[in-house]
Amino acid sequence: MNSVNSAVLDADTGWLILAIFSVIWIFLGWFWGRKAKQLDDFMLAGRNVGMALGTATAMATWVTSNTTLVAPQFALQLGIWGMLGYSLGCIGLIMFAPLVKRIRSLVPNGYTSGDFIRLRYGVWTWRLFLLISMCYAIGWLISMGMAGGVLIHALTGIDYQYGMTVILIICVTYTLLGGLRAVIGTDFIQTILILVGIILLAIFTISEIGFEKMHADVLAERPELLNVLMPAAIMFLFNNLLFGVGEIFHSNVWWSRAFAFREGVGGKAYLFAGMIWAPIPVVAGFIALGASSLGLNVPAADMVGPMVAAKLLGFTGAVIVFIVVFSSLASSLDSLLAATSDLILQDIYRGHINPQASDEQLRRIAKIIIVLLGVVTWLVCLPRIATLGSLLQYLGAFVASTIWPIAAGLYLKKANATGAFLAMLLGTLTGIWAFFSIGFYVAALVSAVVSMLIMLISMWLIPGNFDWSSLNEIKEKSS
Amino acid sequence: MIVSSGFLGFMVSIALAVTVIAPVVLIILWIKDWIKGQLW
Repeated sequence: MNSVNSAVLDADTGWLILAIFSVIWIFLGWFWGRKAKQLDDFMLAGRNVGMALGTATAMATWVTSNTTLVAPQFALQLGIWGMLGYSLGCIGLIMFAPLVKRIRSLVPNGYTSGDFIRLRYGVWTWRLFLLISMCYAIGWLISMGMAGGVLIHALTGIDYQYGMTVILIICVTYTLLGGLRAVIGTDFIQTILILVGIILLAIFTISEIGFEKMHADVLAERPELLNVLMPAAIMFLFNNLLFGVGEIFHSNVWWSRAFAFREGVGGKAYLFAGMIWAPIPVVAGFIALGASSLGLNVPAADMVGPMVAAKLLGFTGAVIVFIVVFSSLASSLDSLLAATSDLILQDIYRGHINPQASDEQLRRIAKIIIVLLGVVTWLVCLPRIATLGSLLQYLGAFVASTIWPIAAGLYLKKANATGAFLAMLLGTLTGIWAFFSIGFYVAALVSAVVSMLIMLISMWLIPGNFDWSSLNEIKEKSS
Repeated sequence: MIVSSGFLGFMVSIALAVTVIAPVVLIILWIKDWIKGQLW
């Protein structure tokens, strides 16, 4: 683990902030969780979430530690295109907006993304999809757990292991108490905190360094960061776009919200969330370009954001950054815990182990799964095994392979199980090959292209003729 | 092709302006939903 000499908050202050937010989030989790009497309340917040909470939860979940820590990292590594490329992650939210309406009309009583894949493509494609989804979900959990430890260490000097442990315990506890209702409620508050914090940080950076000096110092030390024709960065731009689309199209984090939002809200909420998310990687990322002006020696690229903020803003600024990234982490960790536990509960436990389980049994099992997910994440996070960016880009190979099977599966009768299975399998494998053979910035790109070609060829060679009404199976079972 | 400091400033300023508006709009939406009893 890298040590950071720029910690401006003492450990006692760090622990105090953690304690205050622990109490707030856990109390709110308990408070909102009291109303979750039925399984639908716990898993899907009663399927009646309105526009304000819907938009905020979509935006907050997409503003992860990866945005607040990795956006500056990419700005430091890839310059202008690093920020803009990250910003294209908003396309995933915007493109998912029309899909949400389609999902609600086709599978009105669904619980998870796995429900759709099982009913649309059958058991084997469903199982492969679950494997991909679980790899992604665990990978994302690990990256955020690690980010929590890194942040706390960078700003307060508290040991990585302690910081990571505390953040996981807080998120597991309030998700356990309140389910998706607690997740969505706290997401609104966390969204406001994140936005206000990022705005303050950007304004301080502009006033302290200024664009002229920042530009001149970067031009003198690393001019390639200001080059709009940097080849690796341009590939990163497309890669990140496809990565974002793949993440959102396949992940149950986003599907569970599609099922949780009130009728007519989902499409508008995702569209608006995408629009207000788009500038955040630029606002959070550009401060990394100030590292040259400040003469910072950055020991690990994923620490550049907190280091610049700490150097620039001193005690108050460090507190702001701490709260922003803590809120970002919590808003994504809780969502992922809730959505992944839903996926394991609905698709693995109810789908494979105990199809006759009662709602009461399922609620109990859901809580056990949330705790186990927290424990597994904690165990894997203990050794810091990779930089955050690399770990995330590795997952791009997995998720980008699901874009075309899901999009075609929602709209085209010709999309078939064989094509979807091969598209996911071969897309993932070639994406992983590209990751190791070429670079992290092409893994999602290669995976998505291979997956698309396989879907097109399969629809041409062995066209299906899917009966959309068969997606109502869940409704028939539950009624 | 190297971008100018003006372009860098313009890009960040536009992004910052949108980010400043976002929490205001979210709070207005929250108040509207709350008044209608449609928060969730």
